[in-house]
Amino acid sequence: MSSKIVSPTMHSAAWRISLWATLAFACGTMLVFVFLPNFVADDIQRRSDAWLSGEVEVLGDVAERTPKDALYDRVVGEVAELAGKEVPNKLLSESSSNDSVFFLQTGGDGSLKLWVGAGDGRPNLKAIRAIQIVPDHPTDLRVEGFDIPFRVASIRIDDGSDIYLGLSERDELRVLRSLRLRFILIWLLLVLFGFGIVFFTARRMLSHVRQITEAASRIGHSDLNARVPTTERNDEVGHLARTLNRMLDRIENSIHQLHTITDSLAHDLRSPLTAIRGKLEMSLSAVDQAEQAEPIVAAIEELDRLTEFLNQSLDVAESKADALRLTRSEVDLDELLRIMIDLYEPSMSEKGMQIRLQSEGPIRIAADAALIHRMVANIFDNELKHLPADCTVTIQLKDEGESMALICEDNGPGFSEDVLPHLFERRVRGLESNGHGLGLAFIDAVARAHGGTVNASNRTNRGARIEVLLPHAARELAKSPLAVRQGSPQERRQLTGDDG
Amino acid sequence: MRLLLVEDEIDIQHFLRSSLQEAGYQVEAAADGKMAERLAIDGQFDILIVDLGLPDQDGIGLILKLRQLGVRAPVLILSARRSVDDRVRGLEQGGDDYLTKPFALAELLARLRNLLKRNSPPGTETTRLRVVDLELDLLRREATRSGQILQLTPQEFVLLEYLCRNAGRVVTRSMILDKVWGMRIQPDTNVVDVHIYRLRGKVDGQGQQPLIRTLRGVGYVLKDR
Repeated sequence: MSSKIVSPTMHSAAWRISLWATLAFACGTMLVFVFLPNFVADDIQRRSDAWLSGEVEVLGDVAERTPKDALYDRVVGEVAELAGKEVPNKLLSESSSNDSVFFLQTGGDGSLKLWVGAGDGRPNLKAIRAIQIVPDHPTDLRVEGFDIPFRVASIRIDDGSDIYLGLSERDELRVLRSLRLRFILIWLLLVLFGFGIVFFTARRMLSHVRQITEAASRIGHSDLNARVPTTERNDEVGHLARTLNRMLDRIENSIHQLHTITDSLAHDLRSPLTAIRGKLEMSLSAVDQAEQAEPIVAAIEELDRLTEFLNQSLDVAESKADALRLTRSEVDLDELLRIMIDLYEPSMSEKGMQIRLQSEGPIRIAADAALIHRMVANIFDNELKHLPADCTVTIQLKDEGESMALICEDNGPGFSEDVLPHLFERRVRGLESNGHGLGLAFIDAVARAHGGTVNASNRTNRGARIEVLLPHAARELAKSPLAVRQGSPQERRQLTGDDG
Repeated sequence: MRLLLVEDEIDIQHFLRSSLQEAGYQVEAAADGKMAERLAIDGQFDILIVDLGLPDQDGIGLILKLRQLGVRAPVLILSARRSVDDRVRGLEQGGDDYLTKPFALAELLARLRNLLKRNSPPGTETTRLRVVDLELDLLRREATRSGQILQLTPQEFVLLEYLCRNAGRVVTRSMILDKVWGMRIQPDTNVVDVHIYRLRGKVDGQGQQPLIRTLRGVGYVLKDR
């Protein structure tokens, strides 16, 4: 369990949209930030090259004009040192020992004639000799003992000597490094900021969609009055909400029509049935002999069966259209099954059958108590009618996390192969059945109305298995205030009595 | 007992009226809401039977209107609708009751008695029931016949208690299912009968006067003499 706790935000579409958008944004801005320092580096190089070329020219000029006397070294050296102090991109905090610039003059024979800079200049001369430096074309120069290359410009003056002015690329690189660092920081901030904006915008947009989904899922089978929330805006989400509501209007209208039809059908049939039943009862009370009473009794019983059939067929019809109306209250399935077994056990043992309950304790759901009662009675009636003697019925009640399962298994002959694929259709029954063929269709109808399912199958060894799954969504409702409207059957069993 | 019957189906109204009169009620009948209102205001009725589907108005609306007009008598609602809607449940909580069509006459009469009793001042709670030589101790949950203790399961005791409380009157299978097992179901097997047979085997011993009688097509009755 604990190995995979991911916050629901990470699963949201808003999160994914933001991740992808941010990735695209980050790639784009990264490209910009990768190329920008290169441009800047080129620019800095151009500027330092221009400075080098200018300075080396000035130095050449000075060297040419300065008389080659004892003061020559000092004059040219000071000019070179001065030039070194005007290095572009130089950091102010730079120490007095200036190792970022060197000045080197070679004699006509290539020997070191004058050196201004850090060290004795020999490695520099060696490096200069190793490569060809074309005048007016500053070149990179790697000098032994220095990590960072120098940029060197040269000029040949009239006395045949060469003047080299070298500028360490250290400061330039430092500038570029700090520039890159700042770019990376800015890039990171931009990406984070962009992610934030995209995430919150997407979440706001999608929260409307979520509200619509939540509202739509609350609109159950029987409650079609509710509508999804709409927004003023005329965007896709607003359109979605309005379209859904229009669809719900149409569905509600059709369901209402269906209810009107089934209600009036029920009414039109029940009124005459009531009248007939009443007359039969009155004539029954008028006869004394048992032979005369027999047909009347049979007619009353037939009429009661017809009434129950009418009820069930209308329930099945409504349920097929997902229009069965529920009046939910809290139902304890465990208690219900115990009462039901108590009711059916004598009839079953009379037939030589056994019934067992395997339950883990109370399971409360908010369901239509009357429908659930009738559904369970139907399952038990089926077993009682169709199961041969000496068989055992096992009822299991399980809490399976997502839903609760009511499993009825027997070790009888099972469903015959030819009816098995059509079990939940109306009027399907085995050949030797005397029921009206609504049993399983009704069980299916009740389960569907509660958002559940029914599976009927033959067990691998022997017998039939009916599994009713009722979702826990019904249990959520059990906690809401609308539930607990009616007492449990146990409470109502407290007899009030009927006598005066 | 004065009873107002509001039912528009003439056939039903007719047989209800005669059955109720036979049961000792003074019955006035109305076929629509207007007539019912007039009768209810003029006459003092102890109890009302109102059908939900009236030609001129909704039965619930009529009941609410009568309540506003000061009619205090309890109401038994007759409904031809399949599902009992929330408004009927609301009325049920207000002390009224409902019955879906078609119904057994015995059940209708039992519900009327219940409603009338509910509205009368409560008497002292009885702890013992006695029918002929059958005696039930409700506190100790013990039943004796001619002084002999009957070995009953708790469920059988509840069933016998219900029959005793209605001694001399018919109770139907669905009434037993409702009151003893707390379910309004209509099983198409003989589950209730088997319980009654077993109970009879214990209550009506050999040589004793049989107390539990079956009225085929109607239900059962515990003889009170």
